[in-house]
Amino acid sequence: MRRRSEVRASISPGVRAGLIGGIALVYLAMVGMIEAFDDLLLIGEQVTLGLVLLAAPPFAAAFLAVRPRVVGGRVERPAPLSGLVIGVIAGGISGAVIAAWLLIVEAIGVERVRSVFVAVSPQLIEILTFGQGVAVGTLILLLGGMALGALGGVWRTLRHGLRLPLSVAVGAVLLMGLLQRIAPTILDELSVERDWLYSKVTFGLTWLGAVAVFVVTASVTAFVIDRRERAEARPPEAGTPQGRRATRTVLLLALALGLIVLPQLAGTIVSEILGSVGVYVLLALGLNIVTGYAGMLHLGFGAFFLIGAYSAALLTGANLVTAFGLVAPEFSAHLNFYVALPIVIAIGAVVGALLAAPVLRLRGDYLAIVTLAFGQIAAILVTSNWLQPITGGPQGLRDVTDAGLSGLSFRDPQDFYYLALAFCALAAYVSWRLASARTGRAWNAMREDEQVADAMGVNTPRYKLLAFAIGGAIGSVGGALFAVKVGTVQPGSFEILVSITTLAIVILGGLGSVPGVVVGALVLIGLPGLLSQFEEYRLLIYGGVLVAIMILRPQGLIPNVRRSRELQEDERTQDAWQQIFGEPEAEQEPAAEEAR
Amino acid sequence: MTPLLEVVGITKHFGGLYALAGLDLHVDEGEIVSVIGPNGAGKSTLFNVVTGLYEPDEGEVRFQAESIVGFRPNQITKLGVARTFQNVHLFPNMTVLENAMVGQHCRTRSGVFGAIFQTPSTRREEQLIRERAKAALGFFGPRLTGYRQEQPAFVLSYANRRRLEMARALATDPKLILLDEPTAGMNPRETLELRDHIVRMRDELGLTVLVIEHDMRVVKGVSDRVIACDYGRKIAEGTYEEVATDPQVIEAYLGTKAAG
Repeated sequence: MRRRSEVRASISPGVRAGLIGGIALVYLAMVGMIEAFDDLLLIGEQVTLGLVLLAAPPFAAAFLAVRPRVVGGRVERPAPLSGLVIGVIAGGISGAVIAAWLLIVEAIGVERVRSVFVAVSPQLIEILTFGQGVAVGTLILLLGGMALGALGGVWRTLRHGLRLPLSVAVGAVLLMGLLQRIAPTILDELSVERDWLYSKVTFGLTWLGAVAVFVVTASVTAFVIDRRERAEARPPEAGTPQGRRATRTVLLLALALGLIVLPQLAGTIVSEILGSVGVYVLLALGLNIVTGYAGMLHLGFGAFFLIGAYSAALLTGANLVTAFGLVAPEFSAHLNFYVALPIVIAIGAVVGALLAAPVLRLRGDYLAIVTLAFGQIAAILVTSNWLQPITGGPQGLRDVTDAGLSGLSFRDPQDFYYLALAFCALAAYVSWRLASARTGRAWNAMREDEQVADAMGVNTPRYKLLAFAIGGAIGSVGGALFAVKVGTVQPGSFEILVSITTLAIVILGGLGSVPGVVVGALVLIGLPGLLSQFEEYRLLIYGGVLVAIMILRPQGLIPNVRRSRELQEDERTQDAWQQIFGEPEAEQEPAAEEAR
Repeated sequence: MTPLLEVVGITKHFGGLYALAGLDLHVDEGEIVSVIGPNGAGKSTLFNVVTGLYEPDEGEVRFQAESIVGFRPNQITKLGVARTFQNVHLFPNMTVLENAMVGQHCRTRSGVFGAIFQTPSTRREEQLIRERAKAALGFFGPRLTGYRQEQPAFVLSYANRRRLEMARALATDPKLILLDEPTAGMNPRETLELRDHIVRMRDELGLTVLVIEHDMRVVKGVSDRVIACDYGRKIAEGTYEEVATDPQVIEAYLGTKAAG
């Protein structure tokens, strides 16, 4: 009796995860993502991105269904056999769901389903049945689901030191496949023989290349992990701060060098994309100060994008589009961009502080709603008739200056890349310095507990104002760069999208983490820019990514490194401490004291 | 001599409930004064009014002969009044050292530009903040030193959280420290140790201490003067013996114990 309930308790997560995986599969198929991504060959002539998308849900369902057991406060790896069984169940159910859906569609008739769900095309059915007809196709889906489920379940049971290198290697192969428009160009530029790695016919990785990437990344990761584990086994004093600092400096220099050389090798497409990434990095760094450091949710940060873009355009001189052709707006200065920029920054800071003034007493949800309204007000104002003589109303502004420093042009992706890089580096430096300074501590304290921060002597209204002002200043630089990059400032309904995207970047990367912001922007802006297939599903992917990150890794991709490391090291340092000093916490019953 | 802290006739009500109903008290410099009273007697409200978290409806709060009614909490902290909370309120995700460093905030002044350009004065000040914070943590012996300073506050044991909260208050360089039930939830040994800490705060650091406490051994052991409250009013004042034998106090506060 007891055994049966135990078995049921361990199987039901598998069933549930399998159903969710199956629904995810059906959804991906019906919105057309699987078909749209099927023309992108990642490896050889067989593995397409669509196929990866098809394989991911059963694998993920099985992986998530196999939960590690917690025994006496300790997390234990699940047994391989139970992982296998639960995985097969989860994956099999996922496969069964999509197979059943396929049969239903066949029974109704593809064309009739298509009249409602436009993405359900004969090509999609062809992909899902692997061109083998419905009978064999459903069998393949079912068996494939079970096989993937088994793999996902067993994957979870692997030792960490084994699983991590394998996961990194799989990720690296996929990433190299996705980078097929960039990596070959770089290799050609470096005149490295690359035909063995990237095929000239399919543009994707060759099988040889995929295996090579897999083996190399897996062994490098394994080596790094091994070395780190050995370093951690030594007493803490061994890793001197100076040694760490030296390695960090070397790494930073290498990174800087790589970023400077990259556009020369990778061509203009990459510079173009990285330029956009740079604009969003600036916006997200600004928001990171308000939301990440000071803990105030800001849903209208896109307003600073507008403020930066418009003030840069007007200060450097732009033209309005009217029925009578291009005319100068009622207000315009013809300043050099670099003279205008400090003014733009000042405007951003002042507007940020002005917004903060009425919301100083608000917290949490209320603050979020007011900031959301602020974003909308800014968007409506710039398109209003009232401001039309200055902002150009719905038509916006054109002919924003393109003159950079002597001979450089903002319109040139290569030149713009360096401009964006410079400002991003500057903003990152400012963020980093502030985080570890007295100001950053005050923000942190405010984020943790506003009332207590107040009682400990932090002037919270002042620091709220400061966070909004500095965040607004950094964000408006992003807007200004966007204006000179594109040359036009056209308002639309995209401000709310800018706000959401910026927030998504900060959350994905990890609130309060500067490297996280950069990675978040690369993932959410860079990857979709690389692959035209992503464009249509961009918002769907954002939503999916955000939900996944909230459930699986709420601290973000790159959380505050120092703190997460400390958490892992706790046990070890505590042991070392106890050996040296004895346990200060060891309490004996104070019999003598008690008697008094 | 004017008292360090003087509370005159403060009233604070929440709707129809009078948490404080014309309470008077004073604390002289160098004194350790205990406030006792049953739950809901208005003791914590008194602390919240003194530290500026609540504004009193009536009455006057004077610190060093200066009225501080209407001051913001951070201004009152800067004047030299520090406090702990009844339910420990730390900054849980900041490290132990950072928690204490926040305490130094009101004694320092470096700002954004100093941080960005790393001016020598900012660096010096940061060094100073660090040293003072470490000194405040060192007040409790080895418990908050060493590797613990780099740990986030939420990993600390309950007793250590209480100690850290006191260390953070000490790091504000106060003249007067308000302790709200510092021994709540501590075991007997920790309680006795804390009693010594409270006395040391006065003897070694020269602080004046106003403490809310339920543990009568602590009250007896530390207090120069005891003030008993009930229903937002002072019902007795004097030495521990005087207050403990006061019939009104026994009825209001120790009554349950006498009955049991």
